[in-house]
Amino acid sequence: MNALLSRSWIRALIGLIAPGLFLIWWQMQAQAGGAHALAFAPLQSVGAAFVELAVRGSLFPDMASTLSRSLSGLAIGGTLGIALGVAMAIWRPLDRVLNPLLQAIRQVPLMGWLPLLGLWVGTGQGTELIVVSLSAFFPTLLNSFEGVAGVERRFVEVGQIYGFTPLQRFRLILLPAAMPLILTGLTQGLAFAWIASIASEILLGVGGGLGVTMQLAQMQQRIDIILVAILVTAALGFTINRLFLRLRQHLLRWQAPLR
Amino acid sequence: MASAALPALAAPTMRRRAPLASFLAPVALLVLWQLLCLSGAFPPQVLVPPSEVARTLWQLAETGELQRHVGESMTRLALGFAIGALAGLAFGAAIALSRLAEVVFGPFFFAVWQVPVIAFVPMLVIFFGIDEQFKVAIVILAAFFPVALAAFDGIRGVPRAWFEVARVYRTRLPDLIWRILVPATLPAVVTGLRVALTRAWVVLIAAELLAADSGIGQMMEMGRQMFRIDVVLAGVVVSGVIGFLLDRGAKAIERRASRWRAA
Amino acid sequence: MIHEVLARPAPAGAPAASGALAIRDLHKSFTIGGAPRTVLEGINLDIRPGEFVSIVGASGCGKSTLLRLIVGLDDDYRGEIRLDGERVSTTSLDRGIVFQDHRLFPWMTLEQNIELALLNTDVPKARRAQIVAEHIALVNLTGFEKAYPHQLSGGMAQRAAIARALVTEPKLLLLDEPLGALDALTRVRVQNELQRIWMTQRSTMLMVTHDVEEALYLGDRVVVMAPDPGRIRRIVEVDLPHPRDRAAPLLHRLKDEILAELTAAPSAPSNLVHLPGREVR
Repeated sequence: MNALLSRSWIRALIGLIAPGLFLIWWQMQAQAGGAHALAFAPLQSVGAAFVELAVRGSLFPDMASTLSRSLSGLAIGGTLGIALGVAMAIWRPLDRVLNPLLQAIRQVPLMGWLPLLGLWVGTGQGTELIVVSLSAFFPTLLNSFEGVAGVERRFVEVGQIYGFTPLQRFRLILLPAAMPLILTGLTQGLAFAWIASIASEILLGVGGGLGVTMQLAQMQQRIDIILVAILVTAALGFTINRLFLRLRQHLLRWQAPLR
Repeated sequence: MASAALPALAAPTMRRRAPLASFLAPVALLVLWQLLCLSGAFPPQVLVPPSEVARTLWQLAETGELQRHVGESMTRLALGFAIGALAGLAFGAAIALSRLAEVVFGPFFFAVWQVPVIAFVPMLVIFFGIDEQFKVAIVILAAFFPVALAAFDGIRGVPRAWFEVARVYRTRLPDLIWRILVPATLPAVVTGLRVALTRAWVVLIAAELLAADSGIGQMMEMGRQMFRIDVVLAGVVVSGVIGFLLDRGAKAIERRASRWRAA
Repeated sequence: MIHEVLARPAPAGAPAASGALAIRDLHKSFTIGGAPRTVLEGINLDIRPGEFVSIVGASGCGKSTLLRLIVGLDDDYRGEIRLDGERVSTTSLDRGIVFQDHRLFPWMTLEQNIELALLNTDVPKARRAQIVAEHIALVNLTGFEKAYPHQLSGGMAQRAAIARALVTEPKLLLLDEPLGALDALTRVRVQNELQRIWMTQRSTMLMVTHDVEEALYLGDRVVVMAPDPGRIRRIVEVDLPHPRDRAAPLLHRLKDEILAELTAAPSAPSNLVHLPGREVR
């Protein structure tokens, strides 16, 4: 048994059984009719919806909107998070003053800010961007803080011995030593920004994007379009995450590889 | 090395915070907020003072409305989390312990895991409508994945050497499970449960904003539609306090469960 | 090539023969859990310019603390530490140090790690690359300039750390158990190299070690320290020219003597079993 499972192509084949059975069950539900038939779009219509969206529809503009929303949010929230996290770790009084406030803000579920922001800046794209930025802000902030605060004393001492100025200490020791955690924060921030983009698009339904398309499709009871959007969301999210990890690996090539 | 014991080397990564200072900052913030509102810098439809928010909370509590919303939300959270966590635990343990189960279900699981839970909302609305089922279902989903993953990682992470120790001492199977497997995996699983609980709470609020007739999220959304900024702010405060308490409670349990692990 | 480095004129104003260390009545105590604990007591030591002095002692006798005070990482002490007459209060490029952990920055290549030591010297930028290359050659690491620390073996990394410490041409080089983390064979090789480097550089070196053999092989003098509180028990002259032969009878006799001294209980317990045939010194 185990010998059989150790062949990679056999494993891959067996791995297809569960999704395959699921799809067959789905197809049967779709063709059975009845109360739930509406919810189970037949597979051929999902395929058709994909072609329709990709060729004539909004699939690529949607991908671009969601992607640019996530990346803009990451740029804004990530930059603020890194700057503030690093500043708080270097200058502790700032940490003492801001930490309780930031912790309080962090406790509120992210989407819980939407009604308030709706009243303040309206239920438009601005609100979406603020929520996405906020979602990327906290992971980068916390990781950057930990990164700089956790720089080993022994490295700082080397700087002392060679008479480093504060700027040299920051540029040559604190920043590179904290870089692994800063990048971890950005990676988490990207994942959060991606989720927050989809979520705010579903909830507010403005400005285009995969979430907006899902929301519209839900109102039109088009499960086929929803499925296409979900699949694209998963694939795109997976891809950008992979690219980001690649970038991280390149930037941290000075680290000993694991194992 | 002798110098490892020097206080100069140990101190800088420690975080000590004077308790006074940590109380001072939020209090100062509240005072500032109150003063800003009293000065008339913001019209009342943009920002109301904390005293106003407190009064609204009191009124909501007096009429029982607040308790009803909180109760509804917590019921959904408890029900969905219980089902999702148990299912996740069983599934994670199954694919960790059985190679066949991993090969059969692993790829499907990791593929679905790529989808943000929130993206299932429109589909679940079509399946279940916007009733109670939908909200419990989304909480189940939100709880299932982190717990399943934590259980899988936790069981797979038990060092082989420990099983070898058990074999050397001819440990019986029940003892192996209760004395080695459970304590070794407990910290990871409890961490997974905590993450799942906070995620479930966040997703539930989002779902209630979208479609609900009660719950904290719905209370905030109604407040927004009626331009009642005091109600919205009250909702923000309540959801934050609940999130904080859930996280704190889970962390306290987590610490107990992982006492044996070095900090 | 190396001669050029060595022939580089000393900074203006510094006397030609410099690197004399004088320690007078040095006391150091820490406060641990509210209670003060004396780590060093009444240390008096004079080191001549160009001398190699080793310090040995049981762990906890304050030898690493002593080096941290001399290098200037800790200025909270009583007594006096003077290098060429000047009181030590903070770090300076006059005093280099090699730690037990090599402390190369993992995010920099070997070359960059060594060059950073020159960052705040008045060595002209154009000369720096050449000086770095010469010092890499001095420790036999040519060809590894672009390697990151994780790609170097323990012995190579430690040699790189020695190059970094030497590149500023400090008057005094402190070595804090520099070979402690190396395996026995690598250790012997790096000891030989250290001896060769010292013979070419002739700067003053002060090395802390827990290996008596190493201390004797390299040191002109060996300072034996006693713990609780850390103090100098005795100073042993090693009257042998460099380079030395490890098999020299004098080294072995001194080693047995110092080891006996270090392992003897402060007040010998009466129930100690004496092994037959053991020579009592």
